[in-house]
Amino acid sequence: MNLKLIAEQLLNGIVLGSMYALVASGLTLIWGTMKMLNFAHGELYMIGGYVLYFSLLLLGFHPFWGILLAVFIAFVLGLLMERAILHPLLDKPEWHVSSIVATLGVSIFLQNFALKAWGERFKSVPYFIEGTLDLLGFRVAYQRILILLVAAVVMVGFWIYVKRSRFGIALRATAQDRDAATILGINSHRVYLITFGISSALAALAATMLAPIFLVNPWMGIPPQLKAFIVVVLGGLGSFGGAILGGFLLGCIESLATVFLSSEWKDVAAFAVLIAFLVFKPSGFFGAKEW
Amino acid sequence: MMLEIKNIDVFYGDAQALWDVSLAVEEKEIVTMLGANGAGKSTTLRAVSGLLKLNKGSISFAGVRLDRIKPHQIILRGISHVPEGRRLFPSMTVMENLMVGAYVSSAWKGRASSANEVMEIFPVLKERRNQLAGTLSGGEQQMCAIARAMVSHPNFLLLDEPSLGLAPVIVERIFDVIQRINQRGVTILLVEQNAHTALQIAHRGYVIESGRVVTEGPASRLLQDEHIKQAYLGL
Repeated sequence: MNLKLIAEQLLNGIVLGSMYALVASGLTLIWGTMKMLNFAHGELYMIGGYVLYFSLLLLGFHPFWGILLAVFIAFVLGLLMERAILHPLLDKPEWHVSSIVATLGVSIFLQNFALKAWGERFKSVPYFIEGTLDLLGFRVAYQRILILLVAAVVMVGFWIYVKRSRFGIALRATAQDRDAATILGINSHRVYLITFGISSALAALAATMLAPIFLVNPWMGIPPQLKAFIVVVLGGLGSFGGAILGGFLLGCIESLATVFLSSEWKDVAAFAVLIAFLVFKPSGFFGAKEW
Repeated sequence: MMLEIKNIDVFYGDAQALWDVSLAVEEKEIVTMLGANGAGKSTTLRAVSGLLKLNKGSISFAGVRLDRIKPHQIILRGISHVPEGRRLFPSMTVMENLMVGAYVSSAWKGRASSANEVMEIFPVLKERRNQLAGTLSGGEQQMCAIARAMVSHPNFLLLDEPSLGLAPVIVERIFDVIQRINQRGVTILLVEQNAHTALQIAHRGYVIESGRVVTEGPASRLLQDEHIKQAYLGL
């Protein structure tokens, strides 16, 4: 087996894994605070991809502004979705079921909306930076280096924000004990609203970074959504550190499966690991950790 | 009258927990609410904090109807609640718990100095400032919960069973602190099962049984009351 090939694939796995981590951290953020699974997370990702496509190809934006616009629109869409669809169900009986049904509904709606409005043709987005870096005999596309950099900056920045800022403190307090947070003056409904927006923005950011590699289409959100669920199980539901570790792990597993088996087998490997975790370590690396 | 609870009924779903409960606390007083487990003591405090809705009656504080404002805005009126079972944020450090206590905008700016100030009351918290709240001992957790409630500089404190599960010597220390806080001008409504200790520091008391107030009066008189002696003081 060619060692260089393995190393190259591992690097690809890390790049892809960093985006899995970004998508999964949005999912785990929602779970940690609102105790619900967002089945429309992948569609918010998809919207991010389309906003980038249109802003680059129709409006002629620089990729930087296209990414910023996509993140902003996803943030606003997240706020709207929380307020219009989830807020009315909060604090009602059967929240665990109603939130799943509601977000699944949003997911189906958005997929079909995209299909009807923007068509089924896959749309390609150019690389933000052309060219490759030659390093120690490896060839790495600048696009992939950019992805890693963005992931690192966003994850570290987000972590510091959650740890230090006034909103971050409110978010963690609400996640750990909502009633106690309320009597200390925290409006949990507002925390939920903004958390949802941030989660959507993270999904859209991942979509914009991956759009040049995976093409924009109405169903582009399904694989990352599924992968994010796997990541969240590997890392422990609700754990931010777990989402990051799980993301990188899944990325590497898929890449290695591509090398040793074939690319058709990479999802089989990913789901085999998921099943193994569900059987042997259902709480994931970090258990159901609190924020 | 600082806090006035008037004829309130409270339900948990279909089950009625409070029946026509009335209670008043004057400025600078320590008033205690005694009763067995499940009598409705915590329910009353949760109603004051807006965590439970009233089916009947009213709760006013310094002339403002608390039952008409949102639960998270009640602390802005100067009321701080130390809930039953401490309810610290277990995965946050002691310092971070105090920061949540300073969340309200009026307290956020001076949070560092306020936190240091309340840690003067409980020096042990200073040593434990970077420890996760979930790993503290029961007594330390109670101190942290009281400190967290004090960071926002309240003038009214709702204390729910601060002695629960603590060794007598720790209980004594905590009640000492409660008295000191009161001497600084903070009015206190103290819910307790530990009737004897509570009546030692309280000015007045209410006894609640099965969701109804059955007796009220000055602490000195309640200490002599035959029914209370039998039911709550074990004499």
